[in-house]
Amino acid sequence: MEKAKITAYQLFALVLLFELGSALLVALGIEAKQDAWIVILLGMIGGLLIFFVFYRLYCFYPDCLPTEYLQKIMGKGLGKSVAFLYMLYNVYLAARVLRDFGAMLLTFAYIETPLFIANTLMILVIVYSVSKGIEVLARTGELFLVFIYFLAGSGVLLVLFSGVIDLHNLQPVLENGWKPIIKTTVRETIYFPFGELIVFTMIMPYLRDAKKIRNVGIFGVIVSGISLALVMVINISILGVDLTERSQFPLLSTIQTIQVADFLERLDVYFVIALIVGGFFKVAMFIYAAVIGTANIFTVTPPSRLSYPIGLVVLILSMTMASSFPEHLKEGVSIVPLLLHLPFQIIFPVLLLGVAYWKNRKHKKQGTG
Amino acid sequence: MPSFFKKKSQKGKKTAEKQKKPAVSSPLSEVLEENLAVITSKTGNSTDIIIRRLKHSPRFKTESAIVYLKGLTDTQTVQEILIESLMKSDPVEQEPSSMQEMVEGYLPLGIMESLKDWETLFQALMSGHTIIFVDGFSEAMSTSTEGGEQRSIEEPSTQRAIRGSREGFTESIETNISMVRRIIQNPTLWTETMTIGRVTKTKVTIMYIKGIARDDIIEELRNRLKKIDIDSVLESGYIEQYIEDQSLTVFPTLYHSERPDVVAGNLLEGRFALFVNGSPFVLLGPVVFIQFFQSIEDYTERFYISTALRLLRVLIFFISLIGPATYIAATTFHQEMIPTQLLVAIAAQRESVPFPSFVEAIIMEVTFEILREAGIRMPKAIGSAISIVGALVIGQAAVQAGVVSAAMVIIVAITAIASFATPSFGIAISTRLLRFLFMISAATFGFYGMILGFIILVVHLCGLRSFGVPYMSPLAPFVPADINDTVIRGPLWADRKRPSFMSGQNQLRQGEETGRPEPDKSRQMVTKNEGDAQ
Amino acid sequence: MKRHVAVFFIMVLSLSFLAGCWSKKELNDLAIVSAVALDLDKQGRFIGTFQFVNPGNVTGGFQGGGGGQGNAVSVYSAKGDNMDEISRRMSTKVSRNLYYAHANLLVISEELAKKKGILPILDAFDRDPTFRNTATVVISHQAKAADLVKTLTAIDKIPANKMIKMLRFSERVYGGTMNVMIMDVVRDLTDDGKQPVISGLNLKGSAETGKTLQNIMQTTPESAPQIGGLALFKDGKLTGWLNGSKARGAVWTLNKIKKTEININKKGKKAAIVLEVIRQNTKISATTIDGTAHLMVKVETEGNIGETKVPINLKDPMVIKRLEYGFEGAIEKEIKSAITVAQKKKTDIFGFGDAVHRSQPETWKRISKNWDEDYFAKANVKIKVDVFVRRTGLRSNSFLSDVK
Repeated sequence: MEKAKITAYQLFALVLLFELGSALLVALGIEAKQDAWIVILLGMIGGLLIFFVFYRLYCFYPDCLPTEYLQKIMGKGLGKSVAFLYMLYNVYLAARVLRDFGAMLLTFAYIETPLFIANTLMILVIVYSVSKGIEVLARTGELFLVFIYFLAGSGVLLVLFSGVIDLHNLQPVLENGWKPIIKTTVRETIYFPFGELIVFTMIMPYLRDAKKIRNVGIFGVIVSGISLALVMVINISILGVDLTERSQFPLLSTIQTIQVADFLERLDVYFVIALIVGGFFKVAMFIYAAVIGTANIFTVTPPSRLSYPIGLVVLILSMTMASSFPEHLKEGVSIVPLLLHLPFQIIFPVLLLGVAYWKNRKHKKQGTG
Repeated sequence: MPSFFKKKSQKGKKTAEKQKKPAVSSPLSEVLEENLAVITSKTGNSTDIIIRRLKHSPRFKTESAIVYLKGLTDTQTVQEILIESLMKSDPVEQEPSSMQEMVEGYLPLGIMESLKDWETLFQALMSGHTIIFVDGFSEAMSTSTEGGEQRSIEEPSTQRAIRGSREGFTESIETNISMVRRIIQNPTLWTETMTIGRVTKTKVTIMYIKGIARDDIIEELRNRLKKIDIDSVLESGYIEQYIEDQSLTVFPTLYHSERPDVVAGNLLEGRFALFVNGSPFVLLGPVVFIQFFQSIEDYTERFYISTALRLLRVLIFFISLIGPATYIAATTFHQEMIPTQLLVAIAAQRESVPFPSFVEAIIMEVTFEILREAGIRMPKAIGSAISIVGALVIGQAAVQAGVVSAAMVIIVAITAIASFATPSFGIAISTRLLRFLFMISAATFGFYGMILGFIILVVHLCGLRSFGVPYMSPLAPFVPADINDTVIRGPLWADRKRPSFMSGQNQLRQGEETGRPEPDKSRQMVTKNEGDAQ
Repeated sequence: MKRHVAVFFIMVLSLSFLAGCWSKKELNDLAIVSAVALDLDKQGRFIGTFQFVNPGNVTGGFQGGGGGQGNAVSVYSAKGDNMDEISRRMSTKVSRNLYYAHANLLVISEELAKKKGILPILDAFDRDPTFRNTATVVISHQAKAADLVKTLTAIDKIPANKMIKMLRFSERVYGGTMNVMIMDVVRDLTDDGKQPVISGLNLKGSAETGKTLQNIMQTTPESAPQIGGLALFKDGKLTGWLNGSKARGAVWTLNKIKKTEININKKGKKAAIVLEVIRQNTKISATTIDGTAHLMVKVETEGNIGETKVPINLKDPMVIKRLEYGFEGAIEKEIKSAITVAQKKKTDIFGFGDAVHRSQPETWKRISKNWDEDYFAKANVKIKVDVFVRRTGLRSNSFLSDVK
């Protein structure tokens, strides 16, 4: 753990950028057709529940990284190995997001550029930033949050002025009942993007004002959930369900429909910025968590020494994890949620919380008796 | 701000602190002639050292002499006051025990000091004091007679303001300090002076307001200054480079100003000022990034206008940073983002241009930098000739010859104007350099490269600090209370507190009572004739 | 730390210089495609005709006075079985990279749309990242698509721009046409409750003179593209056309009218009173009851009196009221005629199916398959128009009232 402190607002900015990172760009929860926004909001509620599990765990051990309290809860050997698994999970997710990001970039703008080059440049920037430490990362987040919301605000205004929104596309609501909605929520949105908040368990101990964590987390999850739902509403109402579903990046198609005053058009750069900045923060958070956690497990000081090797691992993993983008997406939809997200984001933390609760109760009894 | 990356890098730290012990200096001799001989030999018989012997001064029984440096001393003082009073005064009645006693009462001059060794004697002599030797005493008196030709106080040439004081600092440290003293008439304005530079022995003065400035920052400054051990300090820039937090950056981490009112304003916000003799530029610190976008007038104009101007300056910063890069990226990678009509217009201009956009841009930018450099160095009369040549060469001929496109000239011109309009020269030159990096990144990876470059830039800026104060504060870390005076400037009455990073305990700068000026509600519009109202 | 930074920068720099040129395209190496036209040849293969911009000739005499002399565009054709093939074959004729991002117009010939339908061609345009799916689609009416893009135009030098602007402007002030984007067409094609409708363009004058510079050197260009009706599609194939007031009726129903004029006869004079429509809002709804569809169109229109040919007392609110009724009838007639044609062709271009989908999602699942044939074509149509005359221009009564 480095000696650093971040403010509540910085944590909020990081949560928001992280949540919006890649979720903003894809057709989140589109399996529920025009009710995708409901799915996102439900996922948000699920995300809040998951966050509470993380938060309770944090309350038991407010000054420890998860890698440390895992060892306290489960014993040294077992704790260390589970913690290490978590770090692998972080690295894997970082690689996934990096791959997503690189593939998106190449699909629509840099067709002839090799994926390796695009990813390498990105990972270099990320590694540089991560090695500067959490404080710098958090401050950068603060600045970019304003920037992104400024872009988003102007984007929404432009979309409104273009007069292409047709809210009829959102009807009928609940056409097929609640079943597909619940199904999509449980299978997708609850893990991605909300469950991925588990990364922030590695960052919570840095907060200057520990009392604020709960509010920051709730607020961050709600704002990001609403933002995502709003974007999805705009996407669907402009593109229609079908086109949104078939688009690799609905947001790009939406932005391309902006035409104001015959001059404010072709604003793809909005999408490029959202893509790169979002991708940057998401991967950076995963890598940071992996760096700080691994350093903690193996007592490496300073932790920043690990950022280059871990960056390299992420890079190589992102290149080799799938041979094509559809394969990559398929893995992301059908394998990763059940095999990785479910245990790592929900089952383990809930079990841990149970054990921690039991242990601490015993502890208390001993203390009083 | 601890960053886990930095710990290792304090290699240059020396264990044994270098002590600046003065060269073993020999005491003065009792014999006048011997002393004078030492002076002539040590100064190599320099012609501007004047030795005036006073053979028959009624004041001294024995022979005496005064020594001073022509040019550094005020000749009038020396001749009319010093020499005259020495020659005309009444003889002493009893035998004087020391020189001090003998001279002090009879010389109508301010500072008098008794000197006993050569080291201090020479220092006094070289700084413009007049030295009085009397035969039979192994000491000398120095009287402060500094003067000579100096630049008078003029309007500052770098930070002009339409509304505001017309005074600018001069090269004399005493004048400069006095100018600030005249603005802040308060005993809490403290100064500390030290001499830096083995050879030049330059006077450097720290100034701060006790109780507003943070003591730990002042202490840190003191330590950093003490560590400096160099030959010469010719300008405040020398000091600046030795006390920066991070030298591997293009951004200035100390502010410099030529205006006493700017210095006063910054002192009142809890910063320190560092005066260096011989330089009209006073260093100010700790600084934050946004400070370089502010100008003194912002505080005198109404806040709407100031806010608009500051936003304009941020825009200017971005234009001069990424203007040509955006053009390159858009025309070589992202033609789809340019509106069709504009694209056709640009394409038409580029039809005959033989170079890729990037090369074209580099040619123009470098040409412009050359012209600018030439313009600065040339005498003013030739400077205008250069601008004519530049305008003709760049503006007309290059376009007509089809070497560059007109669009490129427009871009370069806008960028150039933008970089001139940046209020701080320090930021303007950093952006000049970074502009080329952005152009390279745009030429290799379009907007992707530019945005990555921008992220690195922001990360770098967020990692900088100036005397421990985060460089991007109060934007990042975000300090809501301080946002009033950043890219926006709130009304003065709403600006209750000093920047929290700079000033420690004493934050409030307005009385509780002061607030938004509101005329009494019952008071009505004045009517034309006072009498009618009744 | 220093070494890290150095290594980092060396890596970035070397990467950048290595990477330098993959996706780079200089403007001088691009052939900017402004319009794509698709025809069918006798063997049933596609003929792609691309209109390229000659930038130097568009902006006029700027560099060395050489501009403005030649054609603003050059047109090349290539044959192929699919779009990609056409695009590749085009390279044997064009010296530069084809650049589609500014191809704002896609012209499909009537013949192609009838025989093969638009389904086999649109995927390429929808998928390609450079081709914008906000490009306008038109159907060439009684003309070859290639001839339309070959015709030089005056005022707007790039013919593609002229056609798009014409469509947009006409949509805004007249209303008998629509600016339909590829995206809209694709959306309608995939929507089971709405069929696509695309504007038509026809060519006035001969195709041969249109190609020459002489054409635009006259004050009245002999050949020029002009707007001609709306093409109705069913299952991706063109089934019929709506012209004139019927076309406008369709645009009313689609709620796309911005401004237009409506006239009524009065006192035996034809088109005697003209209403300038300044604002309108149309809502459609539909329900099915016992296997019959009931369609409802509700129009609210505001306008000013634009012209009168007969003396009439416009100061009297009752007269205005009566005029409003007249206008309502006129609009209703137009809408009615448009819907009737669509019903005859059994293609629901108005999205009534979507309205059913929204109001009765359960029923819709059952009937969506044969909505067009069994329901839409036989549906009852109810049209309700409300016209509000707000102002009468600079004069109250016409001077005609006082003409002695």
